[in-house]
Amino acid sequence: MADQTTTAAVPPRAASDEPGLAKGRFSLLVWMSERGVFLFTALLVVVAVVFVNGFASLANITDVFYRAAPIGIVAVGMTFVVISANYLDLSVVAQVATASVILVGVSNTAGFPAAIGLALVVALLYGVVNGLAVGVFKANAVIVTLSTTFIGLGILRWLSGGSIFFGPEDGPIRAFGQAKLGPIPLSALVLLVITAVLWFVLTRTNFGFLIRSFGSNKAATRLAGVNTALVVVGAFVITSLAAMLAGFVLAAFSNTAVSTMSDGYDFSALAAIIIGGTSVFGGKGSVLRTLLGVIFVSVLTNILVLLGIGFGLQQVAIGALIVLAVSVDALARRVGKK
Amino acid sequence: MKPDMPLPVLEASSIVKRFGGAVAVDDVSIAVSAGEIHAVVGENGAGKSTLMRVLAGILTADQGTVKVGGELLEGGAKGSLEAGIALVHQELSLIPEMTVAENIMLGSTPTSYGFIRTRQLKAAAAEALDEIGVSVDLNESVARLSVALRQFVEIARAVARKPRVLILDEPTATLTPAETDHLLAMLQRLANRGMAIIYISHRIPEVFTICTTITVLRDGKVVDSTPLVETTPSAVIDKMVGRELSLDLSSRRVATPGALVLSARGIRAHNVNGVDLDVRSGEIIGLGGLVGAGRTELVRAIVGADPRYGGTVTLWVDGHPRNITSYQPAVRAGIGYVPEERRTDGLALTMSVSDNIALPNRRELSSAGVILAGKTARFASNLADAVGLRPPVITRDVGEYSGGNQQKVVIAKWLGRKPRFIVLDEPTRGVDVGAKAEIHRIVRELADNGAAVLVVSSDLPELLELSDVIHVVRDGRITGTLSAADANEKSVMSLASGENLVGA
Repeated sequence: MADQTTTAAVPPRAASDEPGLAKGRFSLLVWMSERGVFLFTALLVVVAVVFVNGFASLANITDVFYRAAPIGIVAVGMTFVVISANYLDLSVVAQVATASVILVGVSNTAGFPAAIGLALVVALLYGVVNGLAVGVFKANAVIVTLSTTFIGLGILRWLSGGSIFFGPEDGPIRAFGQAKLGPIPLSALVLLVITAVLWFVLTRTNFGFLIRSFGSNKAATRLAGVNTALVVVGAFVITSLAAMLAGFVLAAFSNTAVSTMSDGYDFSALAAIIIGGTSVFGGKGSVLRTLLGVIFVSVLTNILVLLGIGFGLQQVAIGALIVLAVSVDALARRVGKK
Repeated sequence: MKPDMPLPVLEASSIVKRFGGAVAVDDVSIAVSAGEIHAVVGENGAGKSTLMRVLAGILTADQGTVKVGGELLEGGAKGSLEAGIALVHQELSLIPEMTVAENIMLGSTPTSYGFIRTRQLKAAAAEALDEIGVSVDLNESVARLSVALRQFVEIARAVARKPRVLILDEPTATLTPAETDHLLAMLQRLANRGMAIIYISHRIPEVFTICTTITVLRDGKVVDSTPLVETTPSAVIDKMVGRELSLDLSSRRVATPGALVLSARGIRAHNVNGVDLDVRSGEIIGLGGLVGAGRTELVRAIVGADPRYGGTVTLWVDGHPRNITSYQPAVRAGIGYVPEERRTDGLALTMSVSDNIALPNRRELSSAGVILAGKTARFASNLADAVGLRPPVITRDVGEYSGGNQQKVVIAKWLGRKPRFIVLDEPTRGVDVGAKAEIHRIVRELADNGAAVLVVSSDLPELLELSDVIHVVRDGRITGTLSAADANEKSVMSLASGENLVGA
């Protein structure tokens, strides 16, 4: 039976004792679903640079960064919920919009610190409510967060009257939105910093370990003596805090805020996470690969725009990509199990 | 083949099946004749299940041929089924929400114009149950059946297809001795009527009870294939493991019970009806009984993994009594629990050995919430060595290891907590003989080092070998207590089945 490379690495007697170890086998499908994003993103960028007119310009690259930043911040945060095997948090749409409206609207009347404080309270509320419903009452995450989206957007439209808020032209929001380091906007740097922090949390801390372990096997994690409700609440709170920051970044980009400005963020974030190879079955995933997924989706959208393809067809492309990616994920899971 | 034997119904020649680089089945030939019960034995990972899946068309062989009645087998699982090969899986594959009759006829449901013909369905299901001599309500939903009855329904489903070759993969793993006897008698009847049967088991005595021929697999190869009368149980075990194995039942540990560690009073829970139980330091208490007697429910209620309806549990922590009411504080106070279902409840299969061992020990392996990678790796390595994980590669996913090794990892993660009190529920179910001996050694060492140990086992020799005291559970109550000296298979079984209440 022996695969020579493996038998050589362990004492020969041991190898003959346990023939039951499945040897590390390589599956292209599994590799594609988990690591393929590195290759696909690189290929896409190369194709864009070589074949798409106007892609490799400084102004266009800056534009890609601007658009990638808020979606990316949502996506790396939501990666926690997906890895914890709680599907996703659809309410990020409401959360991003609420945070932007609070940042611009409340700071106009009550000042900057009050706006940030209120946004923080709202973010924690979202995280805790979603987390308790899913983690303690074991309600379905899709339905819970679809409903909290409805509630949140409802409250926002009721209180804001659906109006558009504008920040002062000389205010700090404007300044942040305009700030750049070379061609890279400050908001993109915020995305990088958050990705780095969340990467550390997920891979190097007990909390991140428990998120992964819970995502891999809920029952076994509970039976190891873990307070699993706290783990789920934690995953949703991380997502909510990220969504809040995304709302700030989005508001700063245009110095305006309105309750409809984050429409479609749930889907774009999910696209980035899934294309990044985080499994919707939980346990496996990485915020770094989500970041690559964000770049992939942003570059692809940008290419479609540059080629003059309309919004409708862009939606078709992203939707089709997700169906493909989740199918490969599910298929790879079956192959990996055999 | 001897000249007087009939032509084989099933003939597999030079089967080779690889998974990636690993050869799971290596040039295996096997032939089974009508009326023959052919045993296939081997350690976990020897290739038995893979071979059976090839015969049943679920897997396609890389090389070799399978013939049924002289015809070459083609067309995957469907083709095999049509050719008359029926496989009863190791894992139950019934649909719990459906009735017994619907399950038996699943995949061969009689219909006309797309509508199910209920009367015909029930008649055919009843016939199949009759054939195997089991009476169970056809309209009962499978979810309400005991594990043993489900196993019989599974067999009825295979028999309903009137197969020429019936393959059973570890059918008795979850059965009690009485149920096993029933099953063996049933197979004998089926064979007498001309069915060819392939019987896979870990339990050598069963094989010697009913089988006519035995094939021993090791590392995917046939190491022996002979009429049963020409071999002996110990010779078979030697060939299975390929080494001398000391399964010395007489090497009893001299138990020296110390102070009381755990005391449960009046425990009531689902399927548990008032149980008192004490476990002392250095003592191994065994819980015997039939499947469904309430043993697993009892231990889960004691450690707090499932809610209790009533009763108290006290754990002595350094001389101080502590009330145990829920699971997390129980674990923190030094209780360990190795659950019955290691794959669903014991392990995160897609995570590494190291991660699994670290899970309950994460507080000790981190500083300010940040994982200490070096300390974690050393900790996991030491424990992997202590339980004899083979090969001891702690970065590998647990799911890549065999059943015996997986169980060692579950035990290792609790060893790391140096538990005061540890429960092991069916610690060696589905584990090969080598790993079993090692797990027994670890359990004894735990007790020798002062832990209070509670073992649930349906494997009677194991229960007798390990336990200092055996409590027998029936209908959620302890119906009898036997000391190591008084306990034997008969005394445990009579208490478990309630025979003593009726007879002498």
